[in-house]
Amino acid sequence: MSILIGLMLLITVVASFLVLGLDRDYSKRIALFASGVVLAITILILITSLAQGSVSLSEQYNYVSAFGISLQLQMSAINFILVLMTTIVAFGTVLAGNPEHEHEKVANTLILLFEFAAIGLFTSANLFVFFIFWDVGVVALFFMINSLGSPNRRYASMKFIIYEIFASSLLLLGIMMIYFYTPVHSFNIQTIISSAASIPEATQAMIFFFLFVAFMVNMPMFPLHFWLPDAHTEASTQGSMLLSGVLTKFGAFGMLLLFSILPISREFAAPAAALAGFSTLYAAFVTMRQKDIKRVIAYTTIIDMGIILVAIASMNEFGTYGALFGMFAHGVTIALMFLVVGCVHHIFGTRDMRSVKGVVNQATSTAYSFLAGTFGITGVPLTTGFVADVLIFIGSIQAFGIIGALPLLGLLIIGAFLYFVINKSFLMTKDPLQRVDYIGVEQKIGYAFFMFFMFLFGVFPFLLLGLTNLQL
Amino acid sequence: MATIDVTYIAYAIIAATMALIIVPLATIPRKLSFVAMVASTVLLAIILILAAYAMISGIDVTVLGIFHLYPFSEFFIGLFAFALALVNMLSYEYYPNFTRFELFFSFAIIGMFVVAMANSLLTILLGLELMTLPTAFMIMTSGRHHIEAAVKLFILSAIAIGALSFALALIFPYSPELGLTQIAPNTTFTGNYLISLAIILVGAAMGFEVAAFPFNLWVPDVYQGAPGNVTALLAGINKKVAFVALMEIFFVVFLQFQPIFSPVLVLLSIATMFYGNVVALVQTNVKRLFAYSSISQAGYILIGLAVATQFGIEASIVQIVAHLFMIIGAFAIVLWLESKNLRTLDDYTGLSSRNKFAAFALAILMLSMAGVPPLLGFIGKFLVFSSAIDTQSLLYLAVFGIVNSFISIYYYARLIDRMYGGQKKELLFMGNYTYAVVIVALAATILLGIYPNLLISAASLASKTLLAL
Repeated sequence: MSILIGLMLLITVVASFLVLGLDRDYSKRIALFASGVVLAITILILITSLAQGSVSLSEQYNYVSAFGISLQLQMSAINFILVLMTTIVAFGTVLAGNPEHEHEKVANTLILLFEFAAIGLFTSANLFVFFIFWDVGVVALFFMINSLGSPNRRYASMKFIIYEIFASSLLLLGIMMIYFYTPVHSFNIQTIISSAASIPEATQAMIFFFLFVAFMVNMPMFPLHFWLPDAHTEASTQGSMLLSGVLTKFGAFGMLLLFSILPISREFAAPAAALAGFSTLYAAFVTMRQKDIKRVIAYTTIIDMGIILVAIASMNEFGTYGALFGMFAHGVTIALMFLVVGCVHHIFGTRDMRSVKGVVNQATSTAYSFLAGTFGITGVPLTTGFVADVLIFIGSIQAFGIIGALPLLGLLIIGAFLYFVINKSFLMTKDPLQRVDYIGVEQKIGYAFFMFFMFLFGVFPFLLLGLTNLQL
Repeated sequence: MATIDVTYIAYAIIAATMALIIVPLATIPRKLSFVAMVASTVLLAIILILAAYAMISGIDVTVLGIFHLYPFSEFFIGLFAFALALVNMLSYEYYPNFTRFELFFSFAIIGMFVVAMANSLLTILLGLELMTLPTAFMIMTSGRHHIEAAVKLFILSAIAIGALSFALALIFPYSPELGLTQIAPNTTFTGNYLISLAIILVGAAMGFEVAAFPFNLWVPDVYQGAPGNVTALLAGINKKVAFVALMEIFFVVFLQFQPIFSPVLVLLSIATMFYGNVVALVQTNVKRLFAYSSISQAGYILIGLAVATQFGIEASIVQIVAHLFMIIGAFAIVLWLESKNLRTLDDYTGLSSRNKFAAFALAILMLSMAGVPPLLGFIGKFLVFSSAIDTQSLLYLAVFGIVNSFISIYYYARLIDRMYGGQKKELLFMGNYTYAVVIVALAATILLGIYPNLLISAASLASKTLLAL
């Protein structure tokens, strides 16, 4: 019994209300301090667990005792990798800040509230608690998109909340069905895993369908992804970093749970992987039509999440840890990319790749950070993305044969397109666009921060793999 | 010793209830508005404390054969006393002639408590009448432009009362006693069409009172036409009193007919949810929007009653409490903005820049109505849907509920979006009493949502004693 996870939750939620209540001059300092402490706790857990070779924490606090619901939190390697990703992205988001520096107080409040929800969700050992944190996170990001961002943000936020509440309604239904159809009536994930086989097949299929669709909206997958490009494009820089970096992992983590809970999911694994593969290719082709750099980055999220779902659906050890590593890599990398794109917009006043030219002359660090982020997304060796892609495709080829490597094609297409963007907008120095503004030193520290973690776990993958029992 | 104590508390509750009528009578001649407000709030607080004490000590006594004080009625007396104190303070702020309002209000309060502690069908009938007629007068005396709403409410509640008394007349030949528990043994035989007709009439009367589809056509007009504090009273408390009456009649008197009335309640709840939510989507007047939203909330409450298990009733009670706090808080804000002449969705644009607290509170209350955790509205909906899934044969009812919950997010989020968008305008200031009422409603919504144990166990006790388990 430890108190570390509870402490992390408490720090973030208290800091969130402090930021809301106190003067705006303190907001960034409090947010930085709180998310820094949480990051320090996570790294402390990492260091102590590496010595033991595994991580295993579990905590329990009283909640709705009438239904045997308590705030059960656990941390195994799976939960830990996601929590580490969340704390890194949240700290980096606060650190870098919005290049525009508007509404810092609201932004920091919502970032901390979202970090609270994300840590709670990724460590929940109980589906009821999982659902509560899920909705808190969604509502926090709804306000984040709604109150900060581009002129068209209100439309995007409505679209976002409608899709996400649709998902959470199905999620609630699925969770309640699991609770009442298992003979023991429990929300605890371990108890459900051990007794889920007794649910009738037809009911299991129904529950699988509800939960799969719910997580599909959130990840997002092809037919239900329409909220994502708008939400990411219209949100502020910090909003996009959190949306893409952390929120999409809610769905992926849910998929991991779903595939481990229901025995029937083995039958649906191949169709799910096929859908994910199709989604990857579809998004890759759609990306090539985009003119807005932020939209390009938004679509790479769909591609990466598709690949992660393929890994989850392969349902073997390589696939699972590959998916986790993929989520980690994607979270850190995409946060860097959105930060870079936000800075490009700030510097040049536009994000249209036809007019942005010569970034490398006007803002050198921004251009090279974009290049590094592209390495991360395309999985160049020594980045975390490389380790993730290797694990993922070993897993999917084990499960589905050589056809499991097909989603790699999507990655190739998007890689080629991103290098095209780099060539056209970032490195081309012929008639460069004049800059209209400068970025502060915070953003540059932000670049360095994300790049550090992107390369750290790529150069030394055993820092994370040491927590798992994966034999390489 | 113990029994004497018990009876005294029951008498004390009844005496405090009756004492409420003295307050306006004493203050009207001198127009002592503030004294009237304080005195009635204090009396309501006393009733709340007595009821809470009675419920904790599990008092179960029958007084004069017409009142029955047991945990179920004590729970609702306490709840209504608390909510009525809120409405009382809210009304004080907006009424120049508060003592006249207080007179009708006191009669209505007595009617509500009489329904909550009724032990016979006749008491329920009288209590309902005592509640609705003064409410109509409250609307009527608020100004000339409220008369249409008052007349609508008066006529329709007269029809409801008429149907209920006709049902009583049909039951009376079979059961010489009209005590709630005494009717059931006399009406056991099957194929009795007169009793079936009586059940239908009771259902129709209660449908009017709780505003279930298709008996809800009066609701938007009356809610919109009435002054905001009376709307808060109608949506927050009157409707809940009707639910109490419905529970007392269906689950004590007609429990053996449950296989007959349950499917009807299922249909009513589905239709009510869909009607309320779908029509609310296109509303532009905020008061009307909340009127339709409260119709749909009545549909959610009906789910638990349609399930008709102890768990279902418990869930409905939690949802009743949730909706009571949410809607009183919401209408307090709507009333305050109406007094500043802001009525439509467009008027609410940029509310956040004019009064941060009001926008925040209304946003939280609406998120709670939409069922977003960890707020009280979510706990209520979660329990209600769970109770439907628990029976396994009513899974589709939970699915319909969740579909509706999803539909409703659109109009709530649209209003939240309006409030947080738009240009900066001049600041608006909220009166102290409104502020206090909103704070209390908001605190109840958040705290009971985060820590619902107390409420759930109280609701569980109330539902068990209702079914005499």
